[in-house]
Order: sequence, then C-alpha cells, then structure tokens
Amino acid sequence: MESSDEQLCRAVATQEPGAFDLLVERYQERAYRIAWSVLRDREDARDCSQEAFIRLHESAGSFAGQSKFSTWFYRILVNCCLDQQRRRRGWRRLVGWRDQRADGPDERDPVEQAPAPFTDPVDRMDTERRMTKVWALVDELSPQQRAAVTLSCREGLATKDIAVVLNVSEATVRVHLHRALATLRRRLGDEG
Amino acid sequence: MNDVHVDEWLIDHVRGELDPADRARVDTHLVACDDCRASRERFAALMTELARTAPPPPPIHWGAYRAELRERLERRTSGSAWLWASLARPLPALVAAGLVALLVMTGLPGAVRTPDPLALDNTILASQLDMIARLDVVQQLDLLEDFNVIGELDELPEPRKS
Repeated sequence: MESSDEQLCRAVATQEPGAFDLLVERYQERAYRIAWSVLRDREDARDCSQEAFIRLHESAGSFAGQSKFSTWFYRILVNCCLDQQRRRRGWRRLVGWRDQRADGPDERDPVEQAPAPFTDPVDRMDTERRMTKVWALVDELSPQQRAAVTLSCREGLATKDIAVVLNVSEATVRVHLHRALATLRRRLGDEG
Repeated sequence: MNDVHVDEWLIDHVRGELDPADRARVDTHLVACDDCRASRERFAALMTELARTAPPPPPIHWGAYRAELRERLERRTSGSAWLWASLARPLPALVAAGLVALLVMTGLPGAVRTPDPLALDNTILASQLDMIARLDVVQQLDLLEDFNVIGELDELPEPRKS
C-alpha cells in the first residue's frame, strides 16, 4: 500500500532512506509550478522550490500533523517565494535610489525607475506564448494577492488552507481574493 | 442581507465555501438583485478563465533538478556538520592564550590604566634635567654664536660701489 504524504514526512524526520526522494518526486512539479506562478522567473522558481525541499528535510520533525502535509509544505514554499520577492524588491529599491541620486530629485516610485530585470529573450517569448491576457494582469498584482489567486484558482486550495499557507486569517484571504479579482475584472473591462 | 449588496460574499459563493445559512441568505438576495447576480456571474467567469488558462511554467529536466537538489542538500548537511565539528573541536593553544590575555586585560579592574598627566610632566622634566645641569653653557649659547660671527667678519663680501 502506498504511503501517505504525512507518513512519508514522518519517515523523513526519522531519516528513513528513500522517503525524502519519494516526497520530492510527488511534489516537485507542484512546488516548481507554484513558485513560478508567484515569481515568474524560471531560475528563481527552481531555486526557491529546491530551497523549500531542503527546509522540509531540515524541519520534517516539526510537522505536527495538525494540517495536511501539502498545506504545511506549501507554507514553507510560499514563504521562500515571498522572501525572494522581498529581496528582489529591496535590490530594485537600492538601484532606484542610486539612479535618483545621480539624476537629481525625482518623485517617481523607485521601483518604477529600476531597470527591467534581465530575461533571456527565448525564455521571454516562451513565457509570453503561454501567458493569456488575464494571467499577464495577475502578474501586476501584489505578491500576496498573486499567491492567493494562484493557490485558489490554479491549485484549488480552500480559503482555510490558503490562510494557513499565507499565515493570515481567513478573512484576510477573502479580502486578498476579492480585491485581486475585482482589480482583474476592472482592468479586463477597461482594456477589453 | 436582502437589502444590502453581497459583493464580498460572492467569491465564496462561487467557490462553494459558505456555510448553509449564509449560502441561503446570499441565494435569496441574488434572486432579488440583478446587480449582484451579474457580479456573481462575472466573478465565476473570471475564476473559470483563470483556472482554464493558467500558463504552464517553462519546462525543466526533472532528473537534473533532483540531482541539483541532492547536491545542495548534501552541501548544506555537510556544511552544518562542519560547523558543529569546529565548535566542538578544542581551541588551538594560541587562540586560547590570546583569549585569556584579552580577558585579563579587559576583565581585571585597573589592569589597563589611562596615563596620569602629572606623571607625564615628570617624565618630560626628567628628560630635560641634563640640560638644566649644564645651564651655564646654555646661557652662553647666544654669546658663543656672536663670537663666531665676529671671527668671520673679514670673510664677508665687500660692499658694492654705486
């Protein structure tokens, strides 16, 4: 009989050989897909999803089994992604601040002044081919809203699970989702 | 709820996440309110589109992914093992001696004193005592210099004739 995710996680905690590899195989595609949905960068998504697996390996013993394994793991994963976003934003702010000093006073948002991050043209074409208009607009949402939309509409997580993953209340998840979808509807209406 | 629009409940209504009582109230409101009914339909269509058109991420090679992950994990595990080992290892004698000396210097009260200004003055004075002992010579230094100039007067150049 096939082991459940929760049993495998406990096996990882007791360092049973093969348990970790089995969990990775089960979750690698979902982890990479969620990370990519939040970060929209292949290398970052690869890096963050791998980092989430490493953290899973390190903290498997702390999985108490109060929530599903998938919810617990997604929380680790989304935390990695949001940390990465914050680092990226901090770097852009720094670059924006330097530009502002060089060009004199400027009231524009430093993030807007930052140069666009380098993307491989082939990757970019590939990504654009895959992106529909509505998902291109999802890209413009805040990281938390984007994570809520991804987990809800793409991964099919319930509000209570998204709340655990994002470490916020269910009411906050509802607010994120409502604002995100209302924004998308408005922009699609404006542009359509 | 019948008189108040139910916009903030509509997404949960579409997702089927309302408890039975709330769902019944929203249903009742939707029957009577064209705006909220239209809004619910737009939310439902948008969520369906989001689920249907979610772009797949760029493809990656899963074998390489797992190999890289395994390598990172081993690096991390061996890195932390090295840290613990180095913490457990006895400190080299030189570093230990240095630490003891540092503790003695900083830990013992009065071990390092700030210089006393009076003692500093005394030291300077003591270095000048030898000069004071030969005060007679020092006082005549100007006179000796004058003698030297007088002795060399005949060697001065002739004044120019206009």
